[in-house]
Amino acid sequence: MNSRNFRPRHLRGAVVATAVAALLAGCGLNEGNGDSGASGGGGGSTTLRIGTTTDVANFNPLQSLSKTDSWILNAMYPHLLRIDGDAKKVPDLATGYTYENDGKRAVFTLREDFVWSDGTPVTSADVKYSAETIMKYKLGNVAAKLTWVESIETPDAKTVAFNLSQAYAPFAEGVGFWMAVVPKHVFEKAGDISKFANDSGWVGAGAYILESATPGQRYVMKRNDKYPHAPAGGAKVETVEYRVYPDVNTMQLALRNGDIDLMGTPVPASAVSSFANDSKIKLQEVGSLGFAHITYNVTNKHLAKPEVRRALSMVVNTDSIIKTVLQGEAQPMVGPISPTFTDYDNTELKAYPFDPAGARKLLEDSGYADKNGDGMLDDLDLEMVCDQSNPNLTRVAQVVREEAAKAGIKLTAACVERNTFLSRTKSGDYDIDVSQWAVFDNPMDQLRSTYLSSNPGGINYNLVKDDKLDKLINDTAGTTDPEQFKTKIKEIDAYVHDQALLTPLYVEKIRFAYNAGKFTGFAPSPSDLLGMVTGYSLAQVKPVG
Amino acid sequence: MVEFIVRRSMRAILTIWIAITVTFFLLRLLPGDPTLLVVEGDMTPEMQQALREQYGLDKPMLTQYWLYLVELVQGNLGTSFRQLQPVTEIILSRLPWTLLLAGSAFVLTILLGIPLGVYAAAHRGKRVDRIVQMFGITGHALFVPSIAILLLVVAGSMLGWFPIGGAIDPDTRGLAAYFSLFHHLALPLFSLVIVQLGPYALTLRTNMLEVLGEDYIKSARGRGLSPQRTLWRHALRNAILPALTLMGLQLGTLVGGAVLTETVFAYPGVGRLIYEAVGQLDYPLLQGAFIMLAITVVVANLITDVLSMLLNPRIRT
Repeated sequence: MNSRNFRPRHLRGAVVATAVAALLAGCGLNEGNGDSGASGGGGGSTTLRIGTTTDVANFNPLQSLSKTDSWILNAMYPHLLRIDGDAKKVPDLATGYTYENDGKRAVFTLREDFVWSDGTPVTSADVKYSAETIMKYKLGNVAAKLTWVESIETPDAKTVAFNLSQAYAPFAEGVGFWMAVVPKHVFEKAGDISKFANDSGWVGAGAYILESATPGQRYVMKRNDKYPHAPAGGAKVETVEYRVYPDVNTMQLALRNGDIDLMGTPVPASAVSSFANDSKIKLQEVGSLGFAHITYNVTNKHLAKPEVRRALSMVVNTDSIIKTVLQGEAQPMVGPISPTFTDYDNTELKAYPFDPAGARKLLEDSGYADKNGDGMLDDLDLEMVCDQSNPNLTRVAQVVREEAAKAGIKLTAACVERNTFLSRTKSGDYDIDVSQWAVFDNPMDQLRSTYLSSNPGGINYNLVKDDKLDKLINDTAGTTDPEQFKTKIKEIDAYVHDQALLTPLYVEKIRFAYNAGKFTGFAPSPSDLLGMVTGYSLAQVKPVG
Repeated sequence: MVEFIVRRSMRAILTIWIAITVTFFLLRLLPGDPTLLVVEGDMTPEMQQALREQYGLDKPMLTQYWLYLVELVQGNLGTSFRQLQPVTEIILSRLPWTLLLAGSAFVLTILLGIPLGVYAAAHRGKRVDRIVQMFGITGHALFVPSIAILLLVVAGSMLGWFPIGGAIDPDTRGLAAYFSLFHHLALPLFSLVIVQLGPYALTLRTNMLEVLGEDYIKSARGRGLSPQRTLWRHALRNAILPALTLMGLQLGTLVGGAVLTETVFAYPGVGRLIYEAVGQLDYPLLQGAFIMLAITVVVANLITDVLSMLLNPRIRT
């Protein structure tokens, strides 16, 4: 064969091959998809379509910790407690809990009317199985919350008791909120739960049960008519359909175009104003369970000195940061406890004033000097690390660096790729950490995780070992009297603030956008982990008109 | 000819093995630890060690590599760290979408690029030639996500001509499903084509200009052959060979471009799978996806080589 044999038919062959690929893709996709509910694809009122950013990575609720996974899984599997709109723990599967034996025994009583979607009642055996499986395989962050559990008893089908090695005041809150309860009769057949994908034949007891998953495209959930928290007459939305939009800009366009009814992910601060003129789109503000902060590694010889940390706090202009970087979409913080937790936030604390000149004087009084006359205090050369995927904090690091220079402090901003950032912060390879806590469901867990020196695997990014702080935390953790507990939390709050272990920055406002012309009645909870898409919230949604 | 094909096939296998090896070690040299991404917040050293054992990361790296190769030879790409499902199954469920997108872009680029290059060369120095050159250079300089977002906003949101993201309306059936398929394909396809078209048109234009100056073309014209026949049957046949090599090379770029295009357009292909797996440091999934894509590109290049050889026997030696 030679060049004379080249004919356009070669190209035609390629075209045909592509067409065959199209047919194969088309054939393989919609076959067996089933119906998507009464409204079908026309976007009728009984199907609520929600935009999510990633596919479900893991359908096993005992393992999965991805935020987007939890949107779907938390609507399907009950928890003992849930968080309401005021960040308070309220009953979900449990009717309540009590502490016995000086706080060393936590007893939950369960509702009578929770039933798995295959008709089996939800019992204390399911709760016991879920907790013991997590402990056995050390699954997820719940395993750390079960550290103190010595044994679990089920005196009857609706009572479950956790016997603890020591009293820990927020044990019931933490386990109750974080631990998904799975059907024992389904999961125990799977053998090794650490390898159980749970990717089909779902049995749940939450408001909606997953019916089909088409990776890369959509996840369809059907209403669970047995869900006891639905309003009288049952939930009005029959089908909840998650559609995957990896790019948040694309998701916003999809909402405007009516392709979805709710953005599961919050609207970025920079995009809030773009929805102002859209009459059908409503923005729902919810509280946050996390906050942005600057944390100091006290193993650094300079940052080990409280005066240096206080001086650094004095070069951070929080109000200006909120105004310019966050465009006003945030609330300032003073102490280490978020103002979201109104019972625990110590409102008597005063923020360190923004005063670069005062900061410089404080440092000079502590022995730092500018001997070479370059305007900067000698030796005070520190590195801030941050996650470059967070544009707000990247900008904050730049602003703080500039302000610190006015006080004679040389700061270098190292905003790096997320995995590098996580690796560096976990290994203590940084001087200053500029980052954001995502979700703390209760202040005690937060303080214990971030400041207790003997908490292996915690997130003590200060690397602080302070006997007084350890004693305060341990003492408070064992306090079961609610009023005493609040007082002691505020004491820790004040001590951490005085030591300037961190510079709290802000609590970012979280806004979710939805089509208010089609749906109403969401019952949102704080944080983007919960937001508008908890099973409880979705069960309350009603079509407009 | 058989020897040529065998030699090229051996080279293709070697290339794939190098790609596997480089990918394997490169991923493990990346900063970060996959176990840290599973549990945010409290994670005891025991929990981390349990995960490392589960992932097989507790073994020395060379042992991990050997075990991976052994499994690979048996056709096992491993199990995804996060999805706990076989990597082969995950990728095969996504691969048709990437093949459809990249394949369509490949074919459409050739169908448009060749006539544009020929036409520009035939009208050298004229307005149409200048337009093709300007379009070619501009298109090649465009960044895929930028053009993708622009198309989404204008053609998807403002004009409402095309859907915002996705690959098909899952509720459609029969012919409506095929219409939906191509309706969703249009914008991502156009994004890739607009960026890829320039190099084809410009390369072919240059080749054509060279060939059109050859004696045998002048001779053909002298023999009274029509300008169209001379252009399309004689000149193009010789000018297309370098463009054929470019096709193989461009396929790699096309597959790379699909990662970004699929992300912006929420298209469910392997590119988006890679995008998500990178964030999770899901080594088995990333390795599997890269191997699949490497095989696709290497095989396409092998086919290009064979085609070039068939068209130009001098290459055989």
